[in-house]
Formats: sequence, C-alpha cells, structure tokens
Amino acid sequence: MSIVAKETIEVIAQSIGINNLSDDAALSLAPDVEYRMREIMQEAIKCMRHSRRTILTTDDVDGALNLRNVEPVYGFTSGGPLQFKRAIGHRDLFYIDDRDVDLKEVIEAPLPKAPLDTGVACHWLAIEGVQPAIPENAPVGVIAAPSNGNTYEQKDELPVDIKLPVKHVLSRELQLYFDKISELTLRKSDSALFKEALVSLATDSGLHPLVPYFTFFVADEVSRGLNDYSLLFALMRVVWSLLQNPHIHIEPYLHQLMPSVVTCLVSKKLGNRIADNHWELRDFTAKLVALICKRFGHVYNTLQTRLTKTLLNALLDPKRALTQHYGAIQGLAALGPNVVRLLILPNLEPYLRLLEPELLLEKQKNEMKRYEAWRVYGALLRAAGQGIYERLKIFPPLPSPPGHTIWKSKEKVVTAVPNKRKASMEPLEDEPALKKIATDGPIGSSASVTTLASSGENDAGQPSSSEKKTGNRVGKDGQKLKKSAILNQIWKDDLNSGHTLVTLLELLGEGILSFIPSPEMSLFL
Amino acid sequence: MENMQAVNNFVAAYLKKKGFKEAEQLLEDLQNKESAPIDFHNDPELAKFIHRFSQSEDDVARYQDGYSKLRSWTYSSLDLYKHELLRVLYPVFIHSFMDMVAKGHLQEARTFFNNFREDHELMHSRDLQKLEGVLSQSHLEEMEFARSLRQSKVNIKICQYSYDLLLQYLHKTQSTAMLGVINEHINFQVSSGQPSSISDDAEVVTLIGSCQDTANQINQKEIHWGLLEDSLEERLEKAGGLLSDSEKTEEENKEGDVDETKKRSVESGKQGASTKKLKKEKALNATAKSARPEASTTPAAPRVKAKLPLPLMSTEVEQSILEDLRNRVQLSSVLLPSVSFYTFLNTHNGLNCSSISHDGSLVAGGFSDSSLKVWDMAKLGQQGGSSILQAENDSTSSEHVVGPNGGKRSYTLFQGHSGPVHSATFSPLGDFILSSSADTTIRLWSTKLNANLVCYKGHNYPVWDVQFSPVGHYFASASHDRTARIWSMDRIQPLRIMAGHLSDVDCVQWHANCNYIATGSSDKTVRLWDVQNGECVRIFIGHRSMILSLAMSPDGRYMASGDEDGMIMMWDISSGRCITPLMGHTSCVWTVAFSCEGSLLASGSADCTVKLWDVTTSAKVPRNEEKSGNPNRLRLLKTLATKSTPVYSLQFSRRNLLFAAGALSKNL
Repeated sequence: MSIVAKETIEVIAQSIGINNLSDDAALSLAPDVEYRMREIMQEAIKCMRHSRRTILTTDDVDGALNLRNVEPVYGFTSGGPLQFKRAIGHRDLFYIDDRDVDLKEVIEAPLPKAPLDTGVACHWLAIEGVQPAIPENAPVGVIAAPSNGNTYEQKDELPVDIKLPVKHVLSRELQLYFDKISELTLRKSDSALFKEALVSLATDSGLHPLVPYFTFFVADEVSRGLNDYSLLFALMRVVWSLLQNPHIHIEPYLHQLMPSVVTCLVSKKLGNRIADNHWELRDFTAKLVALICKRFGHVYNTLQTRLTKTLLNALLDPKRALTQHYGAIQGLAALGPNVVRLLILPNLEPYLRLLEPELLLEKQKNEMKRYEAWRVYGALLRAAGQGIYERLKIFPPLPSPPGHTIWKSKEKVVTAVPNKRKASMEPLEDEPALKKIATDGPIGSSASVTTLASSGENDAGQPSSSEKKTGNRVGKDGQKLKKSAILNQIWKDDLNSGHTLVTLLELLGEGILSFIPSPEMSLFL
Repeated sequence: MENMQAVNNFVAAYLKKKGFKEAEQLLEDLQNKESAPIDFHNDPELAKFIHRFSQSEDDVARYQDGYSKLRSWTYSSLDLYKHELLRVLYPVFIHSFMDMVAKGHLQEARTFFNNFREDHELMHSRDLQKLEGVLSQSHLEEMEFARSLRQSKVNIKICQYSYDLLLQYLHKTQSTAMLGVINEHINFQVSSGQPSSISDDAEVVTLIGSCQDTANQINQKEIHWGLLEDSLEERLEKAGGLLSDSEKTEEENKEGDVDETKKRSVESGKQGASTKKLKKEKALNATAKSARPEASTTPAAPRVKAKLPLPLMSTEVEQSILEDLRNRVQLSSVLLPSVSFYTFLNTHNGLNCSSISHDGSLVAGGFSDSSLKVWDMAKLGQQGGSSILQAENDSTSSEHVVGPNGGKRSYTLFQGHSGPVHSATFSPLGDFILSSSADTTIRLWSTKLNANLVCYKGHNYPVWDVQFSPVGHYFASASHDRTARIWSMDRIQPLRIMAGHLSDVDCVQWHANCNYIATGSSDKTVRLWDVQNGECVRIFIGHRSMILSLAMSPDGRYMASGDEDGMIMMWDISSGRCITPLMGHTSCVWTVAFSCEGSLLASGSADCTVKLWDVTTSAKVPRNEEKSGNPNRLRLLKTLATKSTPVYSLQFSRRNLLFAAGALSKNL
C-alpha cells in the first residue's frame, strides 16, 4: 500500500534489535513511516530553497530533521553523491559502499590540497541594457532572442503585441573590427597581419554578433570575386578560422556559408590566370567541407547527404568541366573512406571510360585540358587509395584469401611491375601529373618492387594480354599513356570481377599498392 | 423544478430504504400539498441530510466512480462553461481523497489519488505532494494542512448557468458522494450573467486560515500607502523647483560629475576600465537630465506621516544622498540600466544568501558553515588594479611578487552564528549588517569595527529572512516559527510580533514609508502588516507555490512577489489585487527589485537570468481598464543571461546602477 514495504520495516526493526516484530505492527508502521518521510522531505525542500539551491542535498535533510527536533542522520555529509551498490543475489536491495577506513592510512596520507578560498569577481552583465561580449557573459543568442517573447504572448492568449524585426545593435568596436578584417581579406591577404587576423578570428571570444556579417561578407565576395584566386583563398581561410573559434555558434549560419564554400570547391573556374593554383584552393576547401561535416554532421543530419549529392551530381555530369570533377572528387574523398567506397568506387568504371580520351595525347590535343585530366586522375587514384587503405586498416586480420585470388593478384602484380619500373626509371620533371602518380605510387612500395618483380618473373611464364598491349603502345604514345592504358585495363578487368574486398584492392591496381600497409600486402604475395 | 423533483425522489428513496414508512407518507403528502419549492441550496439542514445519506452508503467505489464520471462530464461540457466547471474538480478531488482516507479505505484512496493526480499536477503540485503522504486517519488529524482544508470551505465563483448545469448533472446521475463533497466543502458564489473569462485567474484554492469573508474584510481596511512627509526626494523636488533655470542645473551637473569621477574611479578600479565607464555614466546623466521634466509631471504620491519615530540623519549623509539622487539616471523602457555582476567563486555549494550595500561597494555572503563574509569591492578593485600594474612592470622590483592577496584573505570574516546563515542585509548607509541564521538568532555586525555588536534572540526556529527598514534602525525578520517580528537595533526584544501565516514566513520586506511590512509565506499568500499595531491589513492571494522574494515600489503603490515556480506577481497594495502575473522565469525567483524611480522591475532567478520588466506602461494603464480583465501588460524588456550563475540578489544603487550577485555553479 505504501511505498515503504513491510519487509523494509522488518529489516530496520532487526537492525535495531527487535527480532519479533509482528506482521500487523510492521503493516501499520509502514504508512506512518512514509508519512514521516514525506514530511521531512517537504521540510528539507524548504531548507533547500532557503539555501538558494535547486538540488536537494543531505545537508537539507539534516536541517529538516533539526527543524523537527530529530537527531540528524550521521555519516551522510560527504560532498560527493552516494554510491549505491546492488546486493548480490537480490534484485532490488541496495547498500552504500561504506568501507572501513584504516586510521593509520589516513594519518600517514599526505594532506590533501586545501580547497580554493571563496572569492568575488566582478564584471558587467550589461551596459545600458546591452550585454557586452566578454568571456564572463554567456554568448549572446542573436537570433533566438525575439522568438522567446512571442511564445509567451501566444500562450497567454492576450492581445499580441507584435514585435518589429529586431534591430541588431553592433558596438562600435565590433564594427571597426569587422571593417578591418574585411579590408585585410580583400586587399592584403598575403600580409603577416592577415595571419594575425585569422588567429584572432579563431580565438577571440565575443565575435559572435559578427558572425552573420561575416557569413554575408563571404557569400557576397565569393559570388562577386570568382575570378580573384587570392581573394577566394583568403575568404576560405576566414571561414576556416571562424569554424575553429570555440566561442562562436556558427550552426545557424551554415546554410548561408555552405553554398559559397561548395562554390570554391566545384566551381568551373577559380581565378583567371594560369598561374593561379586553384588546385590548392580546391584541396583546402575540400578539407574545410570535411571539417564542417564532421563538426555539424550530427546536428544537421541532412548536411552530409545534401553535400554528397551535390558533389556526386557534379562528378557524374559529363558536361561539367574537369576542374569541377576534380573538386567533387576531392570533396568526396575528404569526407572519408566510407563515402569514397559508397559513391566513388561504384562509379569508377564509367567515369574512367569518360576520362580516358581526355588523358590520351592523340585524342586530347589541348595541353591544358590534358593536364587537368591527369589532375583528376591523380585525385581519383588518391581517393580510391585512401579509401582502400582505411578499409584495410580497419580489418587487419584478413581471412586468408582463397587460392585463386592469390594467383589473380599475383597476376596483377606482374602486369604492373614492368610499368612501374619504367615509371621509376623515367625522368619525371616534364610531366607533373605523372609525377604525382609516381610519387604517390612507388615511394611506398619501392622497397617491395624488386621482390615483386622477381616473383612476378619467376611465376608468370605467360605474359598477360595487357602486357602485350602495353608493349604495343609503348612505341606509339610514350610512357605516360602506356601506364594509363595498363591501369585502365586493370581497372576494367577488375571491375568485372566483383566488389569483394579483395577485388577492390585489385581494382585499384598498382597505384594503390602504396596505400596498403605491408602486412596485408605480404598476405597477398 | 426538475432539481426539486430529483431531491424529493432522493429523500423518498432514502426513507423507503430505512423503512420510515410514516415519514415517507408524510413527505408525499407534503409534496402534494406544498406548492412552494424548498430552497435546498440554502437549507443547511437538508444539505446535511443529503450528505449523511451519502455517507451512510459506505461504499468507497462511489467516490472513484462518481469522480471519474464527473470528470468526464466536465471535460465534455461546452467550452463556454468548461473552465468554470473545471474549477470544481480540484476541491472535489482532494476532499474525496481525504474522505476515503478518513473512512479507512487507504488502498482505494491511494489508487484514486494516483489515477487522477495528473489533472491537477500543473496547478497544485505542491499541495498534492503534501497530501500524497496522508495514509491514515491520524495523519489527517495531525497534518495541519489537511485539517484546515477539511474544516474550511472553498469559494468558487461560478455563473448561474454553470451552477445549474452542475446540479442538474449531479442529480441526474445520482452521484450522492460527489454531491455530498460539494455540499460540504464548496461555497459557490453564484453570479448572474456570462461565465467569467478564462484569463480571469482560475480560482486558487489557498488557505488563509479564516473564511474568505474575513479575508475580504481585511482587504477593505484603509491603507496609507503614500510616501513619508519631508523625505529627501521631496526636498530635492522642492529644491529643483527653486533652481528652475537651466544654468543652475548645469552647474549642479558639473559638480556631480566631479564628485562622481572620484567615486567612480574608486569603484571602477576593479574593472580597470574607468574611463569607459565614466563616459557611459556621463552620457546617461545627459539623457537623464533631459528626461527629468517629463518624469516630474506625473502626479506626486500622497504624503503620510510616519507612525514610527524615525532616526535622525546627519547632514553629511543627507548631502551625499541628495547628491546621489540628483545624479540618478532616469531609467525607462528605452534606457535600461547597467548591471554590474558580482560572482561568488569557489563557494563549494555553501553560499546561502548574498547582499549588496546600497552603493554597491560592500558585498556580503552568508554561508552554510555559519560564517558571514564581507567583501569590500573598492579595496578589491584596488588590489586588482595594483596586480595589473605589477604585471606590467614586474621586472622593476621583486618585492611586488608577493602580491597583496598572497597570504591574506580578500574578505572580512564574521563568525558568531552556530547554524547556516540564511539572510543578510546592509543598513541603508552600509555601516551595519544584520544576518539571520538557522540557530534562531539574528546578529548585528559593524562593518567599521568588523565585530559583532548584538545578538537578537526571540525566534524559536530558524530565521529565514531579515531586512533593514529603508530608514535604518528598525528591522524585520521572518522565521520558520510562522511569525514575522519587528525589532529596533537598540532593543534585544522584538517590538512587534506578526502572527497569522499558516506556514513558514519565508521573506519580508518593508514598505517605502516604513509603516507597513509585507511577508511572503509557504502558505502561498503575501500579507501586509501594520507596523504600528501589528495587524494584518492585506492578504494577497494568487501564488501557487512558496513565495521567495518581495519588493516594494519606491512610490509605495505596488508590490512584486516572486515564487518558486518562476512566477512574479505585481500587486496593487491599495486594492489588494494582482495587477498582472509576470511569466518568464523557469525556476525559483530568488530576488526582485524595483529601480529607484519605480519604472523598472528587475528579477533574478535560479534559471541564471536577470530579467527586466517594464512597470510604467503596465501599472499606470490598468487603473482605467481594471474591468477589461486583461492582466498581462507588464512587458518583459530584456533577459540578461549569466553564464552559469543563479542570481541570488539584486540591488539598485541610488543612482540606478543595478548590482547583482550570485554563486557560480558549474554542475547545475
């Protein structure tokens, strides 16, 4: 009937030495115990209120007992919350873990550090009703403020007094700060001062009121200054710094920020001079995008989906420029191996088919275009490689692959070997794109090249068809084309052979070997 | 007429059952003969009779059944009358429960209680918590709350039609149990005409210890809420009238600025940004001057004579206060105050109360370890300033390395109490502090001598609150022993004892003219007492939970009270009515304060905010539109959030700078 069970009364009776408490007595005591307990708790709540607290503590209960002229319960005054433990063998019997303390230990233990003494600090909560943006104050909710008042009015069903759009008051200091930063961004983005400004953006508290202005500024400048490479880079750096700032709540402004960031990633043309290294900008922006997704992905669960959709559309649209493809690949790759695996790999084959003509000299005469194609290719290779690397890292204990896969992979290795040797022998300075691949590729695996080669030659008496093709093409097109052809061939082959982990590895061919940690590789060899 | 019939049938059935054949016959005859209907509402005998009948049916299930039917009927009734009928439910509910307990059906009572408590949780959670523990007849006897509930009747205002509807329903369904409860415990005040609107405060079931009529009577008593004759403000106004030309005021202004510069520089040393603040203040002053003429056009409050002998003020003090008043910033809804916040650090959950002196230079904190600590902010500022200086030229000398607060405490420690200190208050001039403690004593301390002067014993239980009167010398205390007492500094016995509250007196506040004090209590009422004769002159009913804070407007017309749920109520003292409830806080309102000219109300709460409310737009208007029943005119002007600091106390300085204090609590 009451919350206090009859058994509880019996247990308590036993603990004070009454062994023959009758059932009836226990039954009639139980409700009274509950009543007294509630009474004391109500008094304790009073004590809590008068101690200006909203959490009830043992002190309050002691105070309440004092009010009732009852002796307080000793032994519960420790500061920390009580640790209840479950009695073994009983479902709902708990006890407090109260160990015996060895006095000797207590005496010999070094004195604990004295708690800090109470002090009073003073700050301005508001100046003429406006909260200054100082670390002592809570960050100001710029957007949230007005909604508050309205709900109350609604709730009360009274004449609603309609509030005018809130005028956002910006202090003079903040205005100056904003002007300075925007000027630096626009004009002197390579100065040391700008670097200082970025640091300030990333660390200063109290910048929150400026966030809407910065987002607008970035969006505005990006849309206007697509031809100005350095400006774009500076803007992206500003965004990066803002994201780093722990005192800023940038979430509400992400929707304004994202379009301009994505623009810097997948725009057709960034900067108008050839010297502009827009690849670097795209790489940086890709990192930025990944950072945003990582930080706010859990808050806006549609953020990543929408982003990947945008990027994938850019990638899969053959009419888009190669630069756009590059940006899309970089962006996707930065989002992590899972995205790569789910979105890039399935589309690898059709895309490569599309890319192939652009890579070849005889089909794409435009040097610039070819260069871009190679860039895209490199990005793709890296993305896939990283994806596979991460994957292999996740599953170190690979099931020992069946015999034929081993053989198959060996065959692939063999096909790759000659081309790799050639690649490493080739002087690479004249072909930056190739260099990229080469540096990506052989460095990691150079140690194993020789073993690879020897084993390949020993093992594979019969040269594969692809090797023959390679041979044919060597004469015609020169090194790079050969290599690409081989790679393409390999990929095509392997795409047909399914999407198991092992084939994924094979699919990416020799270029990917560098991404595979050696233990796994040795497993395959 | 149909009702009549129902009652007659009722009685007939009863007589039949008990076998009173003759009586039955007689009744029938009577019915046939008598044409005039019996007015059973007003016939106490008949009501009692019916009630006994319901009691004789000792079937507890009737309560459960009857209540649930009544409830569903009420909820499905027409919207127009629904809210009126809903008011009936709560008293019926608690009384049904208590009846069931009284009859010894504890199990059923508890299930009944748990089944329906949700309906009333929102409005009456505190009462329900109290009643929940009632588990036997003896508890009903013992618990004062339950006893007084059962002895008193609840007043419910209801329109004629709703009343008829209700009775009709009760008769039709033969729910005698409900009828009995309603008869016994509800006193309907039937009004003709339309049902009252929803916004009209839903009837609060609050006990006042006496019947409603006496409460009304009490609230009829005359109150002289006007300000004191010959107060400093008045003198200032007169002076201002004489110096009508602008030159003079300008001169005055300059003078004030110079003086202020001195003061400010001391005060703002702690901020290390004196110039900035100074500018602000000057700007404020400029606007204040321009705003003054408008303010003075409002009709001056009536003046009253002081009933207490007032202490004399030295001319120097008088001058400084006058100076302050002259330099006061005229606050309004467009010109909000600056708020300086004192944050207590490392309190280890031990800070029970805080208090700030009128000029903001002293801050006191009362701790649960029985200590009272006082910080001199001016000194603290200097220390801070010098340490900054040190940092700047630390290489100059090595002796500076041992800072001024290296080994010494930054505060003055007052020890003497033997229980948690629950309240502290500064005298108007800041030379004395009073502290009240759970050890049932109040102690007077001197800030000049840093020593305990007097220990006032009189209360029998913890003293929750103590407040100096606006003129000093007198003070009022509130205690768990359900009394408030008036003391003077030179006597160790209380001058007056105000008894009447039904539960703890939690807070106390002086009226601006020192002739009255207001007390807030756990019985959910605020009372106003005459200091001279100790009588209760007003009862303010409307809060739904324990009252934690009180403030009186400087013009003496209004009072604000904050409660445990975060509700603040503005009361008109002369009428005893609530002008408007202020909703916005989500947790306990620890403190409320009026600005010095009464245009703003500031409130501080456990939800870590200071809120500023507009008083002028709200309080002036309702005088004309009192009838329109539109209570929420008091506007929330601004919410100032602290980082993680519940606001314990607020204090407007004489120049209208707002000081706030609270203990930083990380784990809240």
